[in-house]
Amino acid sequence: MKILIIEDEYKLLEAIEQFLLSEKFVVEKATDYSTAAQKALIYDYDCILLDISLPDGSGLKILEEMKREGKTGNVIIISAKNSLDDKVTGLDLGADDYLTKPFHLSELYARIKAVLRRKNLDGSAVFTLGNSTLSFNERLLLVNSIDLKLNRKEFDMLAFFVTNKNRLVTKEALAEHVWGDSFDLADSFDFVYSQVKNLRKKLKSSNSDIAIENVYGVGYKLTT
Amino acid sequence: MKLINHLIWRITLVFTVVMLFWSACYFVLQMKEIHDGNDEGLTNLKQEFIAKANRLPDFAEKMERETPLNLIVKEISKEEAQRVVENFKTTKVYFPTELEREEVRMLSSAFFCTQNGKYYQIQLFTSTVESDDLIENMLYLLLGLWTALILTLIIVSKIIISRANKPFYRLLSELKKFRLDNNTMVCFPETKIEEYRQLNEAVEELLTKNMEVFTEQKQFIENSSHELQTPLAVVIAKLEMLLEKCQHREEAAEIAALLNTLNRMKRMNSNLLLLSKIKNSQLPNASVVNLREVVENVLADFEDFAAYKQVTVERRGDFSPSMRMNRDLAHILFSNLIKNAIAHNEAGGKVVVSCEANAITVSNSGNQAVANVFSRYRRGGNDKDSCGLGLSIVKSIADLHKLEVAYRFEEAMHHFKIALS
Repeated sequence: MKILIIEDEYKLLEAIEQFLLSEKFVVEKATDYSTAAQKALIYDYDCILLDISLPDGSGLKILEEMKREGKTGNVIIISAKNSLDDKVTGLDLGADDYLTKPFHLSELYARIKAVLRRKNLDGSAVFTLGNSTLSFNERLLLVNSIDLKLNRKEFDMLAFFVTNKNRLVTKEALAEHVWGDSFDLADSFDFVYSQVKNLRKKLKSSNSDIAIENVYGVGYKLTT
Repeated sequence: MKLINHLIWRITLVFTVVMLFWSACYFVLQMKEIHDGNDEGLTNLKQEFIAKANRLPDFAEKMERETPLNLIVKEISKEEAQRVVENFKTTKVYFPTELEREEVRMLSSAFFCTQNGKYYQIQLFTSTVESDDLIENMLYLLLGLWTALILTLIIVSKIIISRANKPFYRLLSELKKFRLDNNTMVCFPETKIEEYRQLNEAVEELLTKNMEVFTEQKQFIENSSHELQTPLAVVIAKLEMLLEKCQHREEAAEIAALLNTLNRMKRMNSNLLLLSKIKNSQLPNASVVNLREVVENVLADFEDFAAYKQVTVERRGDFSPSMRMNRDLAHILFSNLIKNAIAHNEAGGKVVVSCEANAITVSNSGNQAVANVFSRYRRGGNDKDSCGLGLSIVKSIADLHKLEVAYRFEEAMHHFKIALS
């Protein structure tokens, strides 16, 4: 998987790069508008992470040019601006998703995976572990070919764990992913804990091979 | 009291006093003049009579017969004549022609007739009826004039003052409409009056400066929270990677605590950013939003949370109010309200969402009324982690869309009512 990160804040760029390299992505970088535009227009990428506010131009212009050239780069906008007009303009111009800074790496990864999955660039629309099969598109979990009937949130949780398999998912990242970032309450931690507990109970009672382990009390991990 | 009435009242009062005084003086002088005229006439008559009596030899004999109606002549002794002092007095005399006593001005005197060497007492009088009429007429005239003058004064000064003050009142009503966060300058009324022009200029300068400072302030908050996003992103990303690699439980807990704090900061910051964006009205894309639909979506989102908090959610009313607004803001508004209602509840409590034709009310169980619920950083007692901006955001969104938001505590429930105008 080849990915282009367009981000003018070098430290953030570095962190994302490091993270994606560990996920076996091929990473290219651009820190300014001209380099970014050049790379985005010349090469083909499976996914482009695009920061809108660049020192010498707007990232939206890169989107415009790509659209004109007929290039679909599977663009995810990452922006410190959460102004909704940016979002709409970006999505109108063919961006696939929009992520507001600051974000959890697990969330970024889930977004990248979702984009790749939508474009069938990644053969991971279905995840199988032992007797259990999770289908992202049909939103189903089959354990021994029986539908476990997870509700919406339970499925969202499980899908997030599956996407971020073998990686620590913090409770915050999980809560934000499943219940939205407006979910900022004190006892949301206990709430998340109780929800995960229910999910684990469901998985356990159906003898699923998928197990979500608790990591040091700070988060969860789905190990394959 | 209005300025114009105040001025007119004062002017009228002063003028009334001055004119009363002036009229009284005039009246007294005029009356004196009339009496003097009467007295002078009587004196002339007397002199004429005496001269006639002294010139005509047979005047004394005829005198009794020829006496005119306004004259009484009586022969007196020398001693009596010497005691007589010439004087004027106002008295009443019986007039046979009128068959009644009438008020007269009377001159009493005495004289020595050289023709026959006798002393006479003489009383001349003239009716004051005419001069009284005159005085009465004069009084009416004066009163009429006086009233007309006062009325004219009031009307004219009212017209003049209100015309002259028009720019002032226009400015006043413009200033009443002025709102600092509206970013529109007041429309200054044109005026030729120097002071009002100066007032306009002074007010314009003051407002412009204030608006600049206000905008700067708003921009500063927005920019600084905006600028904070990227460094926060860096720290969160790096700490998450550190946590991933972490092998020790205690270290992991430390990092997680750091991340937790950072996330709080992040939420606070993004709420602050949202708040200043709403206040700066930078959120366009309004469309007709069915608020009931929004409420249903939010309720679905918080279903598990309500179940976890053992709070039952009740829906009332089946109206679907809708209005033109930004859809995301509508969602934020109701999600803040409903989240608040579920979070600040008690186990076994309930949340009631009622959709009326022109209002949506979110109610939740509670113990006591809360003061200043909508102000920033006002937190409920025990949740140290909530950022205290939720209801403030609700208020801002409502204000931006001219929705009326009201809080009341009734029958052991908090009620938040969002009313469409």
